Amino acid sequence: MWNIKDKSPDVPVMGDFKDGKLFLRRKHQHDGSYKKFEDIDYSPVEISKPEVVGEKNVTKWITNMSRDNMACARCGDGFGAQEKIVNSTGQLWHQQCFVCAQCFQEFPNGIFYEYDGRKYCEHDFQVLFAPCCNKCNSFIIGRVIKAMNASWHPEHFLCQMCDMELAETGFIKNGGRALCHECNAKIKAQGLGKYVCHKCHSLIDDQPLKFRGEMYHPYHFNCTACGVELDGNAREVRNRSGFAKNDMNELYCLRCHDKMGIPICGACRRPIEERVVTALGKHWHVEHFVCAKCEKPFLGHRHYEKKGLAYCETHYHQLFGNLCHVCNQVIGGDVFTALNKAWCVHHFACSVCDQKMNQKTKFYECDLKPVCKKCYEKFPNELRRRLRRQHEATPKKAGTPV
Amino acid sequence: MNQAPVSCIPTQSKMSKAKKVLEESREIQNPELDLADKNVSTFEEMPGLLNMTYVTRLTLSHNKIKVVPPGLANLINLEILNFSNNQIEELPLSLSSMPKLRILNLSINRLFTLPRGFGAFPALEVLDLTYNNLKDDSLPGNFFMMETLRALYLGDNDFEHLPADIKNLKNLQILVLRENDIVELPSEIGELTRLRELHLQGNRLTILPPELGNLDMASQKAVFKFEGNEWVEQIKDQLQLGVSHLMDYLKSDTYRMLYKRYITNKPPPPPPCVDKSKKISRIR
Repeated sequence: MWNIKDKSPDVPVMGDFKDGKLFLRRKHQHDGSYKKFEDIDYSPVEISKPEVVGEKNVTKWITNMSRDNMACARCGDGFGAQEKIVNSTGQLWHQQCFVCAQCFQEFPNGIFYEYDGRKYCEHDFQVLFAPCCNKCNSFIIGRVIKAMNASWHPEHFLCQMCDMELAETGFIKNGGRALCHECNAKIKAQGLGKYVCHKCHSLIDDQPLKFRGEMYHPYHFNCTACGVELDGNAREVRNRSGFAKNDMNELYCLRCHDKMGIPICGACRRPIEERVVTALGKHWHVEHFVCAKCEKPFLGHRHYEKKGLAYCETHYHQLFGNLCHVCNQVIGGDVFTALNKAWCVHHFACSVCDQKMNQKTKFYECDLKPVCKKCYEKFPNELRRRLRRQHEATPKKAGTPV
Repeated sequence: MNQAPVSCIPTQSKMSKAKKVLEESREIQNPELDLADKNVSTFEEMPGLLNMTYVTRLTLSHNKIKVVPPGLANLINLEILNFSNNQIEELPLSLSSMPKLRILNLSINRLFTLPRGFGAFPALEVLDLTYNNLKDDSLPGNFFMMETLRALYLGDNDFEHLPADIKNLKNLQILVLRENDIVELPSEIGELTRLRELHLQGNRLTILPPELGNLDMASQKAVFKFEGNEWVEQIKDQLQLGVSHLMDYLKSDTYRMLYKRYITNKPPPPPPCVDKSKKISRIR
């Protein structure tokens, strides 16, 4: 019934229930051993054979026995012919001698409690010897738990973390608290930065597997798809996206998971089960789509793309010196970026005729300057031919409409 | 019998087009004047223009202007002046004194030379001389004194050498030398620390000064165009691998040795390969 004592040095000493020293019973007196508390039962029971019964005794009247060689266990005198003799636990008493050792009154209803060879009425026994529960402060009749330097009703001795009854399972003393094994393991694991398996309640030494909000040894589970025993790389898949509850979640091995087509975050390479941000041709966790410079997530704010990287407004301007090519000022509002240059939206114009252009205007490129279609067509034929040849020779970069 | 010649009418109507724009602009005091493609050949066709001192932008591209009057410098508030695609052969020196002029576009004209003291512009940031007939001795002595210059477009001209004075253009970010006859670049080009666009296509270059490696031409912000030159094998190989490889190579001791050897041997430059006789800027 007792739990194994943990001998490891840094672990709190395992407490044990102390023997109920006070509750010595005559039955065991001869071998001098103490009964442990859980065997002591002081509940009053009416039993016809008081010799066998322990603590709660009932008197029995002896009527037709030879009285010549009988004597009172208390005063030692003989008994009169018609005198009532009390026979209890193998001894005989005058009726007036069979009284409470404390108040010298007869036992109400003949019920007495015996302690150290003396008999007490229920009231005096409780006052003198009965333990008091450390929790409810009332006398404990019946089973007594002696633990943590106090006495308890079994139903009042609880784990100080989870309130589980400890009488049957035993407990562990941890920092002055009585804890159940599970809570103690949890505390211990927290101290080591590890988890306790929610299934087998032992420490998880390797990579834990999170499943429906709890931590487990991965080997307690199998892949939902292929049935293979899982390892730390297993993936939990939310079956009903958008639902807060994760009761429907299932576990898959990495191989099966990868085949399911769940978007993978371009930053952390892990699947995205919540909101997906799609940008730069990749998927991202909302919190992983961040400025390439300051690494703060955009969280839906405007971002600027440059050579496959995304930047917040501040750092895009800082890094790429987004001064307007025309006014040479920091661009306050929207930026038009093209041809390795930036423009205020209202300054983006054809470099030849100064006519304003917008995002939709098609333009030609000449020396990385924008040229509207109308102007390009007015260029000398000979120049256009050369520019065209050059474009065909170099990799397409600028927005030259053809 | 015969009435006035009918041929007058289109001329009259076109002249009035430019006039109309000027009148409208005067009414609303519009500081931006668009006179592109108005078939203008002389400033006389735009009466009163030189008194409109509130004008900040004057666009005269796609016209037939041959002469720019010195009086244009009256427009003291002018910031942008665009003469692209005209027939200008000569410029007045007064232009250089315009106090607020920031952007001057003279591309596709017939300039053979620039006036003495042309480099006196106090605020010029962008100078576009693309597609003219400028050569080494066309530039006045103070040309490279324009410290405010951000962009210098010299593409489609006849330059063979770039003066070492280029280093004075401390704010230069864009330098276009596309399709000239450039034979070599000065090592001083490595001092243009803000340069982020260098266009060298279609020249007669064989080798690059090692100092060019000081410039961050391989960065994301930079553009380096090099096609159509007679690069030595070593440079050609590096360019094949990428601009970053070339920049690393230029900085290496191996290349410094090669460059030194090449400069002392001084092999003759490759012949001009681009036939420019068909350029309309040549038409006299």
